[in-house]
Formats: sequence, C-alpha cells, structure tokens
Amino acid sequence: MFKKMTSAEKREAKWAYFFVAPTIIGLLILNFYPIIITIWQSFCKTGDFGRGNVFVGLANYQAVLTKTETWQSLWNTIKYALIEVPFGVVIALILAVLLNKKIAGRSIYRTIFFLPMVCAPAAVAMVWKWLYNTQFGLLNNIFHSSVSWISDPKIAWISIGIIGVWSIIGYNMVLFISGLQEIPGDYYEAASIDGATGLRQFLNITVPLLSPTTFFIVQTRIIGALTVFDLMFMVMDKSNVALPNVQSIVYLFYQYSFTNGNKGYGSTLVIVLLVFIMILTYFLQKLEKKIVYQN
Amino acid sequence: MKKNVLSLFFAVALAVSLAGCSGSSGSPSAAQGGGSTDKLIVNIWDNNQLKGLQEIADEWSAESGVKVQINVVDWDNYWTLLEAGASGGEMPDVFWMHSNTAQMYMENDLLLPLDDYIKNDSAIDLNNYYEGIVELYKRSDNGVQYALPKDHDTIALLYNKALFDKYGVEYPNDDWTWEDLRDAAAAITEAGKSESIYGYALNTTNNQDGWYNIVYDYGATIINDDHKGTTIGSDEGKAAMEMVRQLLEVATPQTTVAETGTDSLFKSGLTAMISQGSWMINSFYTAENASDYAWAMLPYADVNGNGQCDDGERYSAYNGLGWAASSETADPDAAYSLISYFCSEKGQKEQAELGVTMGGMKGVSESFANAFPGMDVSAFVRAEEEGELFFRPYTRNTTVWEDGIQQNAFLAAWQNPTDKVLMAKACDQAQQIIEEAIANE
Repeated sequence: MFKKMTSAEKREAKWAYFFVAPTIIGLLILNFYPIIITIWQSFCKTGDFGRGNVFVGLANYQAVLTKTETWQSLWNTIKYALIEVPFGVVIALILAVLLNKKIAGRSIYRTIFFLPMVCAPAAVAMVWKWLYNTQFGLLNNIFHSSVSWISDPKIAWISIGIIGVWSIIGYNMVLFISGLQEIPGDYYEAASIDGATGLRQFLNITVPLLSPTTFFIVQTRIIGALTVFDLMFMVMDKSNVALPNVQSIVYLFYQYSFTNGNKGYGSTLVIVLLVFIMILTYFLQKLEKKIVYQN
Repeated sequence: MKKNVLSLFFAVALAVSLAGCSGSSGSPSAAQGGGSTDKLIVNIWDNNQLKGLQEIADEWSAESGVKVQINVVDWDNYWTLLEAGASGGEMPDVFWMHSNTAQMYMENDLLLPLDDYIKNDSAIDLNNYYEGIVELYKRSDNGVQYALPKDHDTIALLYNKALFDKYGVEYPNDDWTWEDLRDAAAAITEAGKSESIYGYALNTTNNQDGWYNIVYDYGATIINDDHKGTTIGSDEGKAAMEMVRQLLEVATPQTTVAETGTDSLFKSGLTAMISQGSWMINSFYTAENASDYAWAMLPYADVNGNGQCDDGERYSAYNGLGWAASSETADPDAAYSLISYFCSEKGQKEQAELGVTMGGMKGVSESFANAFPGMDVSAFVRAEEEGELFFRPYTRNTTVWEDGIQQNAFLAAWQNPTDKVLMAKACDQAQQIIEEAIANE
C-alpha cells in the first residue's frame, strides 16, 4: 500500500498511524481481545475464575436457544427498545425544534433537559425506584392511587421504558439541535415567501434535511436499548414477580456470568445478542439508502 | 459495501464490549510470601459491623503498625467484585468467606492456607470454635484450613409490641407453633386492613432467616447432610411449604415486599412480625421505635401433634463467616496476624461485647446478649440452647440452585399463595432444580 506513495505521503502516513495508534491499541485491548475471548468462551464449559475451560462445541448454543427464558428476555429487550427509541426520538425532536427558536431562557431549558444525561445511571434508577414505590412512592401519593408500577408484570416494562426515555431525551435533543443548526435558514425564508405554514415547513424541510441525524440517533439508540441492563438491575429486586417479564438479555447474561459463575453460558447469550444486533444493523443500513435524504 | 461491513462491525463491537469483563484467563502469579506492607485492605459486606470491626482492627494496628482499611461492598456486588478480583489477581488482602462459595475459592487456591500459621499460633485452637464452621472452611479433598470462624448467627422472631397492643393480640411466646403465628398474623392483617398493616411479612429471597427454618422444622431438608441431594419435594417438604403458603396468605403481598423490603416495612409499622438473623439486631436496636420491638424464639412445628416442642421440631439456621486472606496478599504474615487477632479469644469477646455479632468461638457470646441494654435479645442464644441448629444449606455453587428455585420454582407459587396445588408442584420443581444443579457441579 506504500508503493504508489511519494516519500512525503509516506511520511505523512506514518505520522497518521502514530496518531491513531493510541485509539487503535485501546480498541484492540479493550474491545477486540474481549470479543474474541467471549466468542471462545461461548464454546466452552468454563472453569471457576477463568481457569480450566473445556471445549464443548455447540452445547451452550443448544442450551441457550432451546430455553424459553432466552427468547422471553430477547422479547423483553425488544419491548424496551420499542418504547425507548420512538418516544426518545420524537420527544427529543419536538424539544429540539422548540429550543432551536430564539426564546427567553433557552439555554436554561436546554440544560434542564440535558441534566439526566449527566447523572449516574445508578442514581437515576434509585430515584425512580422510590418514585414508583407502591407504598411510599411520590407517584402514588400524587395520584392517590396504589398502582404497582414496577411489580405488576403488565405495566412494569412500560415503567422501566419511561425511565429510559426520560434519561435519553436530553442527549438525543442535543444531537438534533446540532443537526437543525446545519439546515440553512434560506430554505425556511423561501418557504415563508411561498406561503408555507410552520407545520408544512417542519414536515417538508426540517424532517427530510434532518434525516441523516435522525437515522444516526435511531441506529445508535436501537443498539443502546438492546444492550440495556442497569435500569432493570437497579430498579427491580430479585423477588419481583415482574422480573421475568422485564429482564433484558444482558441482565440474563449478568445473572449467568457473574452471579452463577457460568461464563460459557453467559458468553453464548451475548453472542446471540451480537448476531441479532448485526442482522438488525445490516437491514438498517440497507434502509438508510432508501429513506435518508442525501445531498 | 466494504465500508458498511466495517462500520457494522464497529457498531456491534461497541455493543459487545461490555461482555469484555468476563474475558480474563490470566494465571495468577506464583508470588507468595516475603513482602511486607503498611496497609491491609479488608472487604466486608455488612455496614452494621463496620464500626465495631474497625475498632478492633485499630487496636491491632496500634500493635502491628500496619493500617487497616475496611471497605463495605453490599452482598450482591461483594461476590461479583471478589470473583472479578480473583480472576484478575486483584483481591483484597483480608475478607469474609461464606458457605455459598467457600469450596470454590479453596479448590482454586485463591485463599492463603492457614495450617502452618495456626500450628505456630498459641492464640488459636480450632477445637474452641463451632465445628460446622471450622469444617466449612476446610478444603474437602485435602483438609487444609483456609479461613478461621469469625462469628455464628441464629434466627429469631421480631415483633412490634405496639401493633399487638393496638389490635389486642397476644404477644408471641416460646410455645408458639407456626399455626399460632399464622393465626395471630391473620388477626392483625384482618384488623389492620384499612391501614394496610399486615401481621407478618416474609421476604422469600431471605431464605436463611425465613422459610428454610420452616422446612427443617417439618423434617425436610434443603440440602442433605452429604451435600448431594435434597428432600424439598418429599411429603415433609410439601407440608412445610404448605405452611409457608398459609403464612403468605395472611402476610404482606410479595409485590410489596419486593419493592420495600421487610425491614423497612417493619420499621415503618406496616407489619407486626418478621423473622431476622442475629446479624440484623443492631439495625433494629438503633431504630427510631426500638422500644416497641421485642424478640421471641422462632415458632416450632408440632409434627407429632402432642402439643409440645420435641426434639427436631424447632430449628434455627446457623451460619458462620470466615476470615480469609488472599493467597496473593503482599504481606501474608500481617494478613494472618490480623485474622488471628479477630479470631482470638480477646477479639471474639470484644466483637460480642461491641454487639457486632456472636462469636465463632464457643462460650464468648454471653456478653452479646448484654450489648443491647434495654432490648432482650436472648432469643438468639436460647434458639441454640433449647432448639436445634442446622447449618445454612450449601453446595459447591450454592447460588445456582438458590436463584434457580427462587426464579423458576417458587416465584409463581408465592405470588399466588391461595393456590395450594401450585405450591406442591413448585416443591417438585425445586427438587428437580437442586438435583440438576448438584449434578452439574
């Protein structure tokens, strides 16, 4: 690859490699090495403390794929994503459009909406856990109700989803605002002269021109939502009856790998998730060409 | 296309990197012995004991010149952290061991073998400790001792006198059977309906201080003495779980307990009785309404129906933690010296006097009952004098079946305590889950 380069170009390329090296090395050690080990472990009956792994072929895969628990958790994860991604994106988009206008106290509002992103997820979960508490929770106190927000299997997944939406809105909003600011004002001016209303402008200018940003957010959030763990882990107790209907696949992975010490089985679970995300991402990439506005 | 594949890979790499923590297969360096240090890191999981233990440790520091830093990590994360540390070679110097996992840690040579130290230590004689606990921390294949008994605990019934007075129900006493408890709980639950006050609360994840005791009272076992099987699915086991079902029928619903916890419910005056282990006394002793609280022995099961408590009808679970050191500690001599100080007669007596816990050494715990002036905690001592003790059920990898029977056998049954058949079925499932887990160990 160096052959066709002039010596100046070669020198430049060397420096380029030098500058990306720290990131690449970090990725190799912190991401790629663990991935390979994880894949290897998924074919093993792992010994205690990572010693004495025995190769067992596809036995773990057979066990994982034939358990209803796996599919239930995958479905739980998808349900969570179905709440977090659409609501997180739509609400953030509306807020971004509103906060992109010149209104008084704009930066204060932006800060307020972004604040959940700054809080530690564990702290967020603890606060919500108490808000939702059936006996002493603020929500039931305000509404004079006695809803089991997080232990009724029918609604617990929605309650968890709401926390997810609340936590992510600010982040999505900031990305949307930066996307909005890249849309030239001329288009809106021209549209106004032609007599387009605010809503028309939003649908015909903002939405298509913002679609690369929207797509980026949707794609990263889908992956983020499918790997959710902390919310379920922090909010729900082990004896919670709704847990089987809410626990995500990564929660199950944690349970097997770290609580039960069965790392082989746990690794298999994440590999299954990995394949699922890969397939999904492949189709999303295909979709991108069709629906995303390209200059 | 190529670019797409690459970006796909990166996106997914991000998603899976969290699995990375599991991927360590490093072999521990063989470095042992030799070095010295000026600070020992100690990990424990019970915040209630921190103050007392730090006091004892500080005395040791004054003698040895080595500082002791005690970290509290809550129960669930304690084991996750310790295992990650063990895999990566970063364990604390001195820490607590527990029956759930002791065998696994010993078999993998992660703990410092103590035999040679004990032989040369005049302060420690293993005959002075509870046999079950000494035995527990002996490796099963070669008999090497890896931890010294720190304490032992028993279970008793805690009740709120104010609630019993309010509803005119007689206080629990030592002659109570589980049926008596059920009837008293039912009376309070019925009377307290409008205020959502319940007579009894049982956190089903707290097995050692809860339903395990009932199983043994009725003559069944969770894990047999040889650690190779269970009788939870037997008729006795089913009779016991039927009692648990009846208790749950009149107890605080499990949905509530899962969110708030029995100790919080009790302290807020929303439940009149809970069973608790002796390690929790301090938490209730220092509570706001402590003067309303009193302890009684756990009820017994009148299996033969003669109206009195016979041998084998009243059980309390007991367990004992062990003080262990990491096999890779920088200063094994100092680590053992600290353990020896904690477990010596002086350290054990002080631990009881300070009200931290009852001792792992026999005959040092009388002072424990006096550590709480104004609160009679003798029920914990009487539990072992008048009743019998069974060691907390364990196998090589206890959490597998413990979680298994919780999540996959009993969960539905104790959410729907009115369903008698469901509970009996759950016992059979539990039997199967435990046997399977043991077969895979």
